[in-house]
Amino acid sequence: MTTSPVDKEEGDFIIHIEKVNKIYPNGVQALCDFSTRIRRGEVRVIVGPSGSGKSTLLRCINGLERIDTGRIVVDGIPLDESKKNRLEIRKEVGMVFQSFNLFPHMTVLENINLAQRRVRKKTRKAATETTMDLLKKVGMVDKAHSYPGHLSGGQQQRVAIARALAMMPAVMLFDEATSALDPEMIGEVLEVMKTLAKEGMTMVVVTHEMGFAKEVSDWVIFMDEGRKIEEGTVEHFFSDPKEDRTKRFLSQIL
Amino acid sequence: MNATKNAWWVPRRTQVLDVAKFLILVGLLTGLMIRSSDALGYHWQWYRIPRYILFSEPGGWVLGPLLEGLLVTLRITGISLVLAFSFGMTTALCRLSSSLVARMLARGYLEAIRNTPLLVQLFFIYFVAGPVLGVGRFASAVLALSLFEGAYASEIFRAGIVSIHRGQWEAAYSLGLNMLDTYRYVILPQSVRRILPPLTGQAVSLVKDSALVSTIAIYDLTMRGQMIIAETFLTFEIWFTVAGIYLVITMVLSFTVNFMENRLRIEA
Repeated sequence: MTTSPVDKEEGDFIIHIEKVNKIYPNGVQALCDFSTRIRRGEVRVIVGPSGSGKSTLLRCINGLERIDTGRIVVDGIPLDESKKNRLEIRKEVGMVFQSFNLFPHMTVLENINLAQRRVRKKTRKAATETTMDLLKKVGMVDKAHSYPGHLSGGQQQRVAIARALAMMPAVMLFDEATSALDPEMIGEVLEVMKTLAKEGMTMVVVTHEMGFAKEVSDWVIFMDEGRKIEEGTVEHFFSDPKEDRTKRFLSQIL
Repeated sequence: MNATKNAWWVPRRTQVLDVAKFLILVGLLTGLMIRSSDALGYHWQWYRIPRYILFSEPGGWVLGPLLEGLLVTLRITGISLVLAFSFGMTTALCRLSSSLVARMLARGYLEAIRNTPLLVQLFFIYFVAGPVLGVGRFASAVLALSLFEGAYASEIFRAGIVSIHRGQWEAAYSLGLNMLDTYRYVILPQSVRRILPPLTGQAVSLVKDSALVSTIAIYDLTMRGQMIIAETFLTFEIWFTVAGIYLVITMVLSFTVNFMENRLRIEA
């Protein structure tokens, strides 16, 4: 493991992950002594072959998966067994899934309003105002009253991003947000993600889009078999990888 | 659509054949009925039936005993339906909960109910539990029916909940919704749409099973039928009429749900 200059520096870290181990019931070790810290406003990209534990890492950060040992702290809240902490952390962390996971029985507007009203306890009017602002941002205002089934994959994913943003999260997690999209729709979703990055949103992005990584990421982690194999700045990572496994991976995808 | 612009329906060869087959079948069945009633030497007296359904008096129309029985049947099934679905939903949630005690209780209830006859349960509640708990005839009937149908309904609810994709749970949780809100706004609205057809089947069963309450001397549709037969010996006419009334009720139920299903369909 290379020591990272970023990790050494002092700074305003929003996510602390310390020596996390996660073993699935079927015996697969998804995370193995994984540690990292993520700064406020940073765009962290995580790459690696499938099954390397990238998605598990994201799912552990917002408590969708339990960790076996280790410690995760998000925005000062330790992720432990308490239900209250779990809900608190999920309010602070937005997540965008590969398969969008919009609620099919609700319109776009209702999808985005739901958590604002139930979790943030906003009035319908206040929630709708936020929702319409966000829809403008992702270019979906005219579809506010459509059902997800009538939208293309790219449109659904943009709505899903708006839905997560509506909670005003401190961190956004993207779990292969463009992997299920047709090629011509990837661009529109990446555009939204780039805008977010430029606005200073803290983002942890699992992706296979190396172009995106090169353009916006501050720090790249390469994972394999649940471990951090190599990490570094974009320039270092793509032009001067040290580990054999990283080189092999890059030669396969670039 | 364009080819049939001028006629609202142009019969195709296969449709003509289908109708012909259907008519032949109906003809055969009718013939069989006539022959068997001839062989029985049964003297049909359908003209005596209407006054058991509805008759007029100087003051106006009066419900005959069959319709009065129907009202009792409707009251019992209506209350039982609401209770059965509540029991079913509670049991389903218990079976899916993380608490071992809740799961075991639900499982025990389910197995006890599904593996014993409804008639025995009805007698048990009325004769054994009833006096202890101080519940009367009508309440015993409602309780027995709703416990029985609730056990089956719970399996339907459970299947409906389990069939919702895991991603829906994860999306709701990742937005910070708690379990109750996730069930209420995300999971159940989707499940209900999926389980309406089997749930209707269960409601139809409930209507039919309610006939068993006549065994504890509740004056429902079936009981009234039996009483009229005892007085008049109009065995076949009354039973056919009673069956017809049940059929009308269950069909109305099915059509209503069908209509609801179309209204609730998620556009995709």
